[in-house]
Amino acid sequence: MATKVQTQEMEIIKNMRQIPQEELYVPGHRTCAGCGPALCYKLVAKAAGKESIFLGPTGCMYVANTSYLCTPFAMPWTHTQITNGGAVASGIEAAYQVLIRKGKYKGKLPNIVVMAGDGGAIDIGLQAMSAMMYRGHDALFVMYDNESYANTGIQTSPMTPYGGKTTFTPPGKAVPEGKKLFPKDAPQLVIGGHPAVHYVATASVGYPVDLINKVRKGLNYKGPSFVHIHSPCPKGWIFDAKDTIKVAKQAVECGMWTNYEWENGEYTYQHIPKTYKPVKEFMKGQERFNHLTEEHIAKMQAFITAKIKAPGKPIEIPVLGPREEG
Amino acid sequence: MSKKYNENFNIPKHLEVPMGAVIPAPVKEQPAMKTGNWRTERPVIDHEKCTLCLNCFAYCPDSSWHLDEKGERMVWNPIYCKGCRVCVEVCPADALRNENEMDFKGGMARLDKPY
Amino acid sequence: MAKETVMAGCSAAAHAAKAARVEVISSYPIRPYTGIMMELSKLVANGDLDAEFVHGEGEHAQVSIALGASASGARAYTGSSGVGVTYAMEVYSPTAGGRYPLQMSIADRALDPPGDFGSEHTDVMSARDQGWIMGWAETPQEVFDNTIMFYKIGEDSSVMLPQFCCQDGYFVSHIPGKVSIPEQSQVDEYLPAYKPHLPLDPTRPSSHGPQIYPDQGSAIDIQRAIAMINTPKVIEKAVADFNKQFGRNYSPFVEEYKCDDADFVFFLQGAHCRTARYAVDHLRKQGAKVGMVKLRFVRPFPTEAVAESLKKFKAVGTIETSTSYGGAMKGGNLIHEVRSACYDLPKGPAITSFMAGLGGEVVTLEEFYKMAKILAEAAKKGAIDQYVYWVNFDKGI
Repeated sequence: MATKVQTQEMEIIKNMRQIPQEELYVPGHRTCAGCGPALCYKLVAKAAGKESIFLGPTGCMYVANTSYLCTPFAMPWTHTQITNGGAVASGIEAAYQVLIRKGKYKGKLPNIVVMAGDGGAIDIGLQAMSAMMYRGHDALFVMYDNESYANTGIQTSPMTPYGGKTTFTPPGKAVPEGKKLFPKDAPQLVIGGHPAVHYVATASVGYPVDLINKVRKGLNYKGPSFVHIHSPCPKGWIFDAKDTIKVAKQAVECGMWTNYEWENGEYTYQHIPKTYKPVKEFMKGQERFNHLTEEHIAKMQAFITAKIKAPGKPIEIPVLGPREEG
Repeated sequence: MSKKYNENFNIPKHLEVPMGAVIPAPVKEQPAMKTGNWRTERPVIDHEKCTLCLNCFAYCPDSSWHLDEKGERMVWNPIYCKGCRVCVEVCPADALRNENEMDFKGGMARLDKPY
Repeated sequence: MAKETVMAGCSAAAHAAKAARVEVISSYPIRPYTGIMMELSKLVANGDLDAEFVHGEGEHAQVSIALGASASGARAYTGSSGVGVTYAMEVYSPTAGGRYPLQMSIADRALDPPGDFGSEHTDVMSARDQGWIMGWAETPQEVFDNTIMFYKIGEDSSVMLPQFCCQDGYFVSHIPGKVSIPEQSQVDEYLPAYKPHLPLDPTRPSSHGPQIYPDQGSAIDIQRAIAMINTPKVIEKAVADFNKQFGRNYSPFVEEYKCDDADFVFFLQGAHCRTARYAVDHLRKQGAKVGMVKLRFVRPFPTEAVAESLKKFKAVGTIETSTSYGGAMKGGNLIHEVRSACYDLPKGPAITSFMAGLGGEVVTLEEFYKMAKILAEAAKKGAIDQYVYWVNFDKGI
């Protein structure tokens, strides 16, 4: 007699007070002071709870967290290659389906969460992520977005903004903007192309209650979900560590980042500013953009403006604020 | 023909790795990576001003702020705080300020052998 | 009662995986091993095997999926051929080093360039440094039996290593042979449920694979070395128990065919052993004192057993069905292992190697007779003329 696989139902919270006090991403890790991804991990771990299994494809949230021969994960966790986070998660989920069915594991299906960076999610790990989404595994894929391959010393990734200086996109005479390419739109890679996916969301470490709820909604939905979390990186973006949350909020205020949910074809938006600030606001606080000219900034502004106004997003677009400051 | 394999190994304790590099999970903290000695400044709280908004608790990447057991006061953990100063920035009540770590008797910089 | 059937190697592997009660299977198509997965998918779809059948997006993903499953405590199974095997290479060391005893069933295939569906052992031989148990089957029956034995060996607590269960593409994977399928209760008795040492389990949390100091690298490497040193005695017991339980007659490491008074022998693994047996029989009728030594495990390489066997002979010719470009003997792989194993013998045989059976070619009886002529000369002289012979291309042989 096969045992039915039961899943967990995670509670949606209303405010900071309801953020669980218990730490599952415990203090004692080698991440930078003020690390956005570390904060992201802490919040996602609280969202997922004790009955979870986390996966860490190679990246900052692997190397910095587990140096050396120790980890800050109070829940079960495994390293994966940067290439195969989605695949290993699929194997774990398949194993638990059969182990529960056969009565070998007596609990509910653990919340299986991949914590991948830019590369592990939509560059070298894209294939495995997409396949996990396609096959319908009941697991969550979280992408912490620090807009670079940070762990190897800040190299460009497909999430690095246009004009973002990295050690592979240094500005110079031949390439004055440093980075010529515009970034991928990660959630849009998932939305619409994977029939088994019902929930895709973007979130930011600047908005922790919203972040926790989106992770929980993703876990609650049957099948695979994808949550893309903006996690500013003081080292890579070159700003003072104390400003991590300020930068996260600025991104939203300037339209560089939009918090939204896509549920079964319907979009809803959170934290939309009444008036968008110019992207220059976001860029001036980070040395990685210092080399850009007005022409470059204008290109960036045009890209962001178009993104905010993208068709299919049924929202009122507030008028964009003045380009030049007073 | 003799076998010629040594099967007696002496692996020094500090280099030992558990089988398959699988280690037990930590419970409340990871003492093998104490990072309190990174900071040059530490956050100091004025409990009178604090509104218990829990911003410092939510935004600290190193979970150095928690509500005490009674739920009445914020408690700071000196062992892991890296002195990033995010908490001071996000406090809406101006209840947190940065102080030089050297000013504290038990300050990390003053310890003969910090960890 | 055992069920007597006739089936090709691919089907034999699938039915053995079913008998082994595998729990998570990851598939991806590539010739010639695809038949294993096609057969398994039918068994799962019909409810004959209670397992999760996961359609991997590529071979690298297949092994990754199996790794995740094995890390969670499920018995995991996958497979591949040719460039699929080399594509998954990144994941082999994490699997062996993480001590996840999953099984990968290989129907070997020549590597690109260019496309070549024929059999060659180079694909998996390229991975033999990673810490996996590895051995070739000669017949579909042996494919079936090895599948079960390899799980028994790999899941032993003193071993805990993944296994490549190999068969020659097409020659074994696609040509039917007699396969006796034992009763399930007998298999269950021989192969109990997989017991992981510390799985990913919320009731006892663990961290798999944290970053280590470079100094600690050798301390974890040695674990696999020790596991490989432990493996031969586990193989001996597992094979002896298998023979007893199922009425077979396998040698654990090397099988000697008509070697009792042989002057020279062919040394090889896999399908071409079948032709070798006929060649030996024919040559013996003509008065040659020739035998065949079949290798059952290339990892762990059974150094002592090989030396014990080969010391009896005056000349040995390894039949290389894989390549080692630029290697010490500038030919194949077996020659390096065999010469190393025999190096300390006070009076060892003359050892040479033959490049044959590459790319999917049959090793014909005529080629065996050519090789026999060369070995007979070497046996008489007590020395070899060449390290390596390309059997079809060398002028004058």
